Amino acid sequence: MKPISYIVLLPLACGLLSLVPAGAQGLGSAKRPGGFSAADAQRQASGAQQPMMQMNQPQTGQMEHVPNVGKSHVDESSGETPNPQVLGLEMPLMDPSGDTMSYNGAKFDVGNNAAVRARFEKYLRQNPDDSKAARNYRKKMKEVLNITRKGARSRKEVGSENLVKIARGLYEMNEYVGDGEQSGALASAMASALAAQYANRERNRKNEKMQKEIDRLVSDTNILTSRNTNRTQSTRNTVGGSASGGGPPAVANTYKIAHNTKKISSLEATGIKNAAENVAALELSKINFQSTIVSLLMQRRYNHAMIGALTYRHIFNDGDTTLKLDSESQAAQMFEGGVGLPPTIGTMATMAANMRREVDQNMEAVANMLAQNKLGEATNSLIQAVAVGEYMESVATFPVEGRQRIAEYWNLRKRALPALNARDYGALEEIASKMKALDPDFDDTMLTSYCAGRKAQSDMHLRNAAKALKAGDDATFNAEMMEAGKIWPKNPNIAKGREQLEKIDNQDPVRDEFRTLIGRKEYRTIYNEQDKFEVVAVDPELKAQYKEAITLIGTIDGMLEQLDVAAQADTVMGPCMAYEMLLAKGEDDPRYKEDPKYRDALNRYALAAHDFTQALEKAKRSEESREYGSALSNYYRAQCLYPRSTTAGEGAKRVTDIILKAKF
Amino acid sequence: MARKRRSSKNKKSQLPLVLGGGGVVLALAIGAAVVMKPSAEQKVRTDSHFNIADYRQDASRLTGNTYCLQARVENIETLGNDRMVAVSLPNNKQERLPLLVRSGVTGRVNLTRGDTFTFHVICRNGQDSDGRDVRGVLIVEKVESE
Repeated sequence: MKPISYIVLLPLACGLLSLVPAGAQGLGSAKRPGGFSAADAQRQASGAQQPMMQMNQPQTGQMEHVPNVGKSHVDESSGETPNPQVLGLEMPLMDPSGDTMSYNGAKFDVGNNAAVRARFEKYLRQNPDDSKAARNYRKKMKEVLNITRKGARSRKEVGSENLVKIARGLYEMNEYVGDGEQSGALASAMASALAAQYANRERNRKNEKMQKEIDRLVSDTNILTSRNTNRTQSTRNTVGGSASGGGPPAVANTYKIAHNTKKISSLEATGIKNAAENVAALELSKINFQSTIVSLLMQRRYNHAMIGALTYRHIFNDGDTTLKLDSESQAAQMFEGGVGLPPTIGTMATMAANMRREVDQNMEAVANMLAQNKLGEATNSLIQAVAVGEYMESVATFPVEGRQRIAEYWNLRKRALPALNARDYGALEEIASKMKALDPDFDDTMLTSYCAGRKAQSDMHLRNAAKALKAGDDATFNAEMMEAGKIWPKNPNIAKGREQLEKIDNQDPVRDEFRTLIGRKEYRTIYNEQDKFEVVAVDPELKAQYKEAITLIGTIDGMLEQLDVAAQADTVMGPCMAYEMLLAKGEDDPRYKEDPKYRDALNRYALAAHDFTQALEKAKRSEESREYGSALSNYYRAQCLYPRSTTAGEGAKRVTDIILKAKF
Repeated sequence: MARKRRSSKNKKSQLPLVLGGGGVVLALAIGAAVVMKPSAEQKVRTDSHFNIADYRQDASRLTGNTYCLQARVENIETLGNDRMVAVSLPNNKQERLPLLVRSGVTGRVNLTRGDTFTFHVICRNGQDSDGRDVRGVLIVEKVESE
C-alpha cells in the first residue's frame, strides 16, 4: 500500500481503531460457531467458484489473537510493508482497492467486520439526532468554528478576545452529552498551553529584572574597581609606594566587587535556568496540545481537530507548527504524506477539513443512490460515512426513512454469508432475489449460478442414490445420500430419500402383507395403499404383481367412471348397457369379479335394469333347460329393452339356429 | 286370458228312464257326427288374447295347444327354406313372439316384414340332430294374409 493512501484513509482507520477493543481479538478471523468457517466452506466448494466469499472474509487471520505491542504482525520475510505504529500499537490501514482493512496481520472487509457491523447496525436503529440540545450544540460549534476561522486570519497575540470566546464556547459545548467531553478536553489543552505561555512570560520578566540587576551590579563593580585603581596610583606618587596599597577603603571596595561578581554569576545562572525552562515548557506544552489535536482527529472529531489546529499558532506564536514527532518514526512518515516534508499542524487541519468534506460527499451520494433505488451503493457509502464521520452532522441527522431502507438491504446482505456458510442455497437464492428486488443494480448472476450449480450437484447425487435404491445397493445409496447432504444439507429431496430408506428398513413386513393380499386377490387394498406397497417394486418378483394390481384396479375404476356417466345420460338403456358390459368384462377376466367395487356396480346396474337382466337370466335358464321357445322369447324381450345388447343378440341367434335345425 | 280349446269327451250318464231316449239321441248324434265330420281347421280359432308373458315363462306348458294369431311380422331369420319369424301382437307391440315357419307352409302368402298376417300355430316339442329335446316352439301351420 502506498503511503499516500495512509494519509487519505487514516481517519477511517482511526475510527475503526476506536471501534475495536484494545485486544481486537477475533476480528473476523475467529473460528465460527459450529466449527465451520468461511474458509472451510471455500475449501468444500472447490471445483466451483465461490462468489461473494471475498466480499466479507478476512483473507488471513490469527486465532485468539492478542496484538503485540511495539511489534508489527507482518512477517518481515513476507516482503509486505508493516503497518505504522503509534504508542506501540499497530495502526489499522485501509486498502481502498478492496474495501479491506489491514490490522494485526489480517485483512478485514470493512463491510463485514463485526465491530463495524455492530456499530453500523446500531446507527441504523437509532433515530436521527435532531434534538434541541443537538441543534444548539451544532449551532455553537458553527459559531466557534467561525470565530476560529476569523481568528486564523487575525494577528492578535496570545490571550486575545477570540481565544477567550473559543474556550468559552468549547466549555459550553462540553455540556452536551453527545460531545463526549471532547470540547472540554480541547479547552483544557488550550488553557494548559496558555498557562504554560504565561509561566514563560513570568520567567522572562524575571530574567529581565535579573538582567537589570546584573547590569547595575556590573556598573557598581566597575566603579569600585576604578576607585581602587585610582587610589593605588595616588599613593605611589605621594608616599613613594606603600606595601598596604591604599588602606581600609580599598579593601572594602574589593569585598564589594567580589560580592557583586558572585551575585552577577548567580543571576546569570538563574537567567539561563529560566530560559532553559521556558524552552522545555514550550516544547512540552506544544507536544501536549498536538497530542490533543491528534487524539481528536483519531476520534473523528474533525471540527474539534480543526479548532485546535487553527488556534495553535495563536497559542504558540513562535511560528513553529511542526509536529513534534521523531522524523524517523513511522507516525511522522505517515503524516508527512510521503513527500519528504515534516508534518505540521496545517497538515492536521487539512486532513480534518478533507475528511469533513469526504463524509458530506458520501452522505450526498447516499441520498442520490437512495433516490435511484441503488441500495447497494447507498449502503456502501453510508458504511464509509458512518465509519469515518459518525459524529458529523450530515451523518447524525440522516433521515429515519433512509436508515430503514438501508437496514432492510443490510440485513439481507448480512444474512447472505451465514446462509452461504450453512450451504443453504435455497435461502441464498431467496436473499439474492430479494436484494435484486430492492436494488435492480444488484448483480446476482454469479450468486444464482453458483447456487444452481451446487443444487444440481446435490440432486445428481440424489439421483444416483435413487438408482442404487432400486438396485438394492444400500451402501451406494448411503454414500450418495451423504454426498448430497454435504453439498446441500437442506435439499428438500433428501427427506424423500430418507423416507425411502426407512421404507427399505420396513420392507419385509410390507412384502409379507403384499403377498397375502395378492393371495387373497384383494387388489383393491393394494391399490388403495399403493404408496405403502410401492416399495415392494424393488423386488423384481413382486414388481409385476404390484403393477398388475395397480393397473387392474385403475382400469376398473376408469371403466366404472365412464359407465356412471353413460348410465346417468340415458336412464333407460344406460343401466342395461353398463350391466351387460360389466358382465362381459367379468366373464372375460375373472379378476374383475374379485373386486368389491365391481361387484357393487354390477348389482347396482342389475337393479336399475331389472327387466333386462331378468329377461337375460330367464333366457339363459330356459336355454339350459332346453325350453328354446321361452329362451328365444326372452332373448327377444331383452333385445326390445336394449336393442344393442350383444348377449341377447347372440343368444337369439344361437337358439334360432337350434330351432331351425330341429325336427318337429 | 288365452282360452284353451280342448275337445271334451266326458259324457254324463243318463238316467235309466231316459236310456231309450238317450239311445235315440246318441244315434242321432252319431249320425250327425258321421255326416258333419269336423275338420282340423274348425278346431283353430283366432285368439287375440294370447299372452306372450305366459309363453316366455313356460312355453312347454302350452305344448299341443293351437292358436290363431293376428300378428305383424317384425323380423325374419332364414335357414334354407325355413324361417324364424318374430312377430308382434296387436295387444303387445313391445314384445316379439318367435314363430317357426317351415318351408311350404305359407303357400302363396309372401311374408314380408311390417305386414300383418293371421298365423295358425301349434306349440310343439321337437328334437335336434342329437336327439335332444327342443321344447315349446310355436310352429306355424297356416298363414293367411289380411
